[in-house]
Amino acid sequence: MVAEKIILLVEDNQADEELTLRALARNNILNRVIVARDGVEALDYLQGSGAHASKDRSQMPAVVLLDLKLPKIDGLEVLRRVRADERIKLLPVVILTSSKEESDLIAGYSLGANSYIRKPVSFEKFSEAVRHLGMYWLLMNESPPVR
Amino acid sequence: MKPSVLIVDDSLTVRMDLDGALREAGFDTAQCATLVAAREALAKAAFSLIILDVLLPDGDGLDLLRDIKRSLATASIPVMLLTTETEVQDRVRGIHTGADEYVGKPYDVTYVVSRALEFVRRGQEEVARDANVEVLVVDDSATFREELKSHLETARYRVMTAVSGEEGLRKAADLRPALIVVDGVMPGIDGVTFIRRIRSDVGLRHTPCLLLTASDGGNGEVQALEAGADAYLRKGSDMALILARLAAVQRSAQSTASWGQPTGYLAPKRVLAVDDSATYLQSLADELALERYDTVLARSGQEALDLLAVQPVDAILLDLIMPGLSGEETCRRIKSSPAWRDIPLIILTALDEKEAMLAGINAGADDYITKSGDFEVLKARVRAQLRRKQFEDENRRIREQLISKEMEAAEARAARELAQTRAQLLSDLERKNEELESFSYSVSHDLRAPLRAIEGFSHALREDYEPRLDENAKHYLNRICEAAERMSELIDALLELSRVSRREMHFERVDLSALAQSIVAELRRAQPDRQVEFVVEEGLCAKGDPPLLRVALSNLLGNAWKYTGKREEARIEFGVRTLGTGRTFVIKDNGAGFDMEYVGKLFGAFQRLHTDREFAGTGVGLATVQRIIRRHGGDVWAEGVVDVGSTFFFTLPIVTEG
Repeated sequence: MVAEKIILLVEDNQADEELTLRALARNNILNRVIVARDGVEALDYLQGSGAHASKDRSQMPAVVLLDLKLPKIDGLEVLRRVRADERIKLLPVVILTSSKEESDLIAGYSLGANSYIRKPVSFEKFSEAVRHLGMYWLLMNESPPVR
Repeated sequence: MKPSVLIVDDSLTVRMDLDGALREAGFDTAQCATLVAAREALAKAAFSLIILDVLLPDGDGLDLLRDIKRSLATASIPVMLLTTETEVQDRVRGIHTGADEYVGKPYDVTYVVSRALEFVRRGQEEVARDANVEVLVVDDSATFREELKSHLETARYRVMTAVSGEEGLRKAADLRPALIVVDGVMPGIDGVTFIRRIRSDVGLRHTPCLLLTASDGGNGEVQALEAGADAYLRKGSDMALILARLAAVQRSAQSTASWGQPTGYLAPKRVLAVDDSATYLQSLADELALERYDTVLARSGQEALDLLAVQPVDAILLDLIMPGLSGEETCRRIKSSPAWRDIPLIILTALDEKEAMLAGINAGADDYITKSGDFEVLKARVRAQLRRKQFEDENRRIREQLISKEMEAAEARAARELAQTRAQLLSDLERKNEELESFSYSVSHDLRAPLRAIEGFSHALREDYEPRLDENAKHYLNRICEAAERMSELIDALLELSRVSRREMHFERVDLSALAQSIVAELRRAQPDRQVEFVVEEGLCAKGDPPLLRVALSNLLGNAWKYTGKREEARIEFGVRTLGTGRTFVIKDNGAGFDMEYVGKLFGAFQRLHTDREFAGTGVGLATVQRIIRRHGGDVWAEGVVDVGSTFFFTLPIVTEG
């Protein structure tokens, strides 16, 4: 059986979470979406620690949509730890943020982000971006082997 | 080891007299009656001082002096010429040949011994010092510079060079050399001006300067000394002589700079007597000899000036009525020279020369005395003047020391305060920048999130409840979305404005013509249906930060593009004009233009001269342009005529070719 392609959405803003889910649904991306509401939750899920200690490790997401401004551990730090962890360092991570500060862009790519998308205010445009994102990371892209 | 003196004199009396006195003062001595014997003695032993007669049975003492100063082994030995005075010119010649001291016969033995002790003391101080004295050579001729440099280096000086007065001043200030040799004639700042500037700098005031010049004659010399040079040499002079003079200047500078015991009131003095009457001069000399002064007799004002240029004296006696340069004029010249004006000057007058005497006093003389009076009064007057000079010197020395200490302290204080203020400002600035940075970050990130929600959920409402919404409700929802979009644009524009103020600039040469072409190409791609003629002058270049200049040009060209939107035949020009002193870049369009009455509002943030209905915009673009241009040290302004067009002018640092 082909492994299910899960999306991990790391987002603390409830409105943004809802809008992202709406945009995914609107584009017929019906994959399972797991939402982590801060950096710690995201890392627990990915590293199989804390609340997710007993989780089946084969259920790795096909892509992580990562906000930068997060409670507890911020997005850049989450990314750094993912890339430092042998088991999950190949995971595709797409930064999805409000910021278009150059410093964030540089830091994001330097830490090994696969893509950087700035959330536009217009939902039409955001929806379009999400459609491309789903198309690429869930259909075109071959996920790295799970270790 | 005792210091040793070589005495070269053909008179046995003189030799015995000096020998006895010097031995008593703690010297070893050697005596020679001829040049040949002196050369032999010099080849065999080292001496701390040479006392040399000029007229010797087998030749001219000056020849030996020249050889001594030319040979590396002996150049540093001080030489005191001791000779029967015939002419002032002999004295001048002797000192020019390299003599460190010149004493006329009949001499005063205590004077000679005192000078000998002084030379030996200086010599010891010199040995105790670091041998690598730093010399700055300022000359525009590379050949001469290199020649002197190699000679100086052989003599163990450390040499730095400058090719112009300007460079010399910079290097002198930075490197603080111990000695300066400067060429008199140079393009730009000449030698005399150079020395004046050195003398006006607190830190360099006491640095000895030696002026080299090609010009002959006493005039250049007087000029040089007036400017404050410590010595003066013709460029044609022997290199060895230049070196000897340099060493002598350095020696004397050291003894003054060290503020050692100043020459006391009781120390021997040198008096210059100037009179055209040989008879009177002789009797004056005889009387002054009783006072143990070294007396120099000058027959004219010119001779007196020549002598002063090479040898300092402690007092001057000056006849007023003389052929040639008058006493009055001589007095005026002496008193107008910074180097000489403090020397006490007593004018000698006949009883019936009241007018002349007044003129002399007016010309700056310190005292006067009638020639017919008895010499006791004259000697008393001279003593009084010497005493006065002594006190003044001491006072001045103390004052100068105090002032220089105070100035140093003030300078140090000022420098410290400046450094503190600067550090404080810098840290304030850094802190403010950091605050601004985090503020902008929050604006960029947090202000947009609610906007996204407003827009997104309005959108959702319209989409999900389409059948149940009437046209009015849809219209309101559209308005909400538009407002959110607009606010998002404003946030972006504001961030851009703050970014151009914060961005660190890296100046490079920027091809503005190419930049403008690429911006217009982008505009054409965004609105392919528009027909706009764009004319750009080739090769417009400026110095600036490329990303910032792109933002500025994008705004200006974007405006021109936008405001020509309603023109059938839109035209935008980009070129350069020479206005006033510099080049001014010009961007001209035939668009909507503006009313000059409101030109003052043009560059203010959020100021607009058109409604959004006419032309959309944030009102931040030109404020951004102005900030960028001003950060480059340029300026931007505009002219407009409603319905005819706008012209924007801006200046930038120009690229200097090559």
